[in-house]
Amino acid sequence: MGYYRAIQKEGCLIVPFLHVDNITKDFGGLVANNHITFSIEEGEIVGLIGPNGAGKTTLFNCIVGYHKPDSGNVIFNGRDITGLKPHETNRAGIGRTFQIMKVTSGMTVLENVMVGAFCRVDKREEARKEAVAVLEFMGIENIKDFHMNELPVATQRKVGLARALATKPVLLMLDEVASGLNPKEIEEIVELVRVINTEKKITLFIIEHIMEMVMKVSQRIIVLDYGEKIAEGSPNDIVKNENVIKAYLGEKYAQSL
Amino acid sequence: MEALKDAFDFSDFSKSEQIGLIIFSLFLIAFPILGAGSFTKTVMIQFLLFSLFGMGWNTIGGYGGQVELGKAQYVGIGAYTVALMMVWWKIPFWVSMPIGVLIALGYSFIIGYPLFRLKGHYFAIATICTSLVLKDIFDNWDLVGAAKGIELPIHEHPDFLYMQFKSDTYYYYFIMVLFYIGLFYMNWFRKSKLGYQLRMIKDDEDAAESLGIDIRWCKIKAYSIASAFVAVGGGFMAVYNLYIDPASVMELSLSIKIALMAMLGGAASLWGPIIGAAFLVPLDRFLGSWLGGHKGLIGVDFMIYAALIMVVSAYQPRGIWGIIEQFRKRGA
Repeated sequence: MGYYRAIQKEGCLIVPFLHVDNITKDFGGLVANNHITFSIEEGEIVGLIGPNGAGKTTLFNCIVGYHKPDSGNVIFNGRDITGLKPHETNRAGIGRTFQIMKVTSGMTVLENVMVGAFCRVDKREEARKEAVAVLEFMGIENIKDFHMNELPVATQRKVGLARALATKPVLLMLDEVASGLNPKEIEEIVELVRVINTEKKITLFIIEHIMEMVMKVSQRIIVLDYGEKIAEGSPNDIVKNENVIKAYLGEKYAQSL
Repeated sequence: MEALKDAFDFSDFSKSEQIGLIIFSLFLIAFPILGAGSFTKTVMIQFLLFSLFGMGWNTIGGYGGQVELGKAQYVGIGAYTVALMMVWWKIPFWVSMPIGVLIALGYSFIIGYPLFRLKGHYFAIATICTSLVLKDIFDNWDLVGAAKGIELPIHEHPDFLYMQFKSDTYYYYFIMVLFYIGLFYMNWFRKSKLGYQLRMIKDDEDAAESLGIDIRWCKIKAYSIASAFVAVGGGFMAVYNLYIDPASVMELSLSIKIALMAMLGGAASLWGPIIGAAFLVPLDRFLGSWLGGHKGLIGVDFMIYAALIMVVSAYQPRGIWGIIEQFRKRGA
């Protein structure tokens, strides 16, 4: 139980919602994640930023189970989920979206979201109802009969978000949902993320390059660089953090604030 | 009940498809009365049989998108179970056929479990190998007749229990009933949870996993369903031909034919395997008997066969049905 010691507060044992403890992932010499530790509380929106190749997506994959970390543990909802397969972590309540979606003409948007809903229900009609509800919640029910390859990339990501939502996660991990969107659409997605958080009571963990989004929406931000966690704190602290400015934000951005 | 409703519900197809299905069904029912010769009747039986095989293959190969080239081993399991039980213990077809299906199911789980650790080309090669291994075993296993094969005992009088009839018409109607059971099952299957999950797996395995789908288990299930389908067909082959040997029911070319017919017709569609079989079985037969009779033309039928497959797959990877849909879209 060594990993719980780090999070003892005032003598009480508090088990966080998601606790990533000392995760290391080494791709044959390239250390993508180097001893990363952090936790996320229930109901939070946490951002994960860092330059390209900093290990953000690898960290996601280690949590969800696409990669098995070389060392370290992931505790979710009081349960050790280290090394579980992605479908098992999904059943445990973690949903995720992908930065790059493979799309073939095989399925329509509605069918895609229905597959997500099938995670919790068996009957087709129920799955359809839930899928339509999710699409309506996201305001994209008008595209439900389109095939995925007929849609622009930004909309495809929205569908990815919809189908992840349809699996009824309690923790949702978004991998760059806002990239490729125009400012108005970013505004919308910020709003959507907030609504998901407040109405659906879903904890969010977000990888994002677009600062307007991540600064607006996150309550806390974790910064990775070269596989290591270099900072963690509120958006206001992060933009003032010298390490972060040097590694990622750049002098210009810091001055523009 | 809902499953039954789904199986008989073709309402999501277009009007022309529904009418086509009705006309096709009427033709199938009326066919023996139309006074066709025995050769045509044999071709029709082959067509229905290969449609059944193709529909089975379509679960894992079409909807699941896995290039599966080892279905012949399950044809063999179905055929050998029926034949051996009849020869050894005089067990009627109606008992031995379900047992054959059960054995095929069990065997497919055992084979499928390690098989689905592999992906893509490696999986395709492995399916071929498992089938070849089983054929080799049967080729050298004296107890089951080895390469000589087994002959089924012929009854003097037609016997429904052992599925022995004088006229092909009875076999025709029997395989037609199996064909419709297969068709209705597939109509249910494509709308089932497993059907949806398989299509997701075909589109994007990583995404499928993130949606709570145990992809390996799903593939194994689909693989087993496919195996059960072809085992039924195998059992039919045994009583229809009254003679089986590894070369006729376990050959690699049979596996490839099954997959090719479904792919050529249009994988992952309900009509695809039927269209593929309707196209290739007669072609195979007529070309074979027509060209095979001329000296110096032996083998030309295979060339034509191969050229057609190449043309269709180059033009539209989704097969003949894909071409039809393309034209329909353009028309609309």
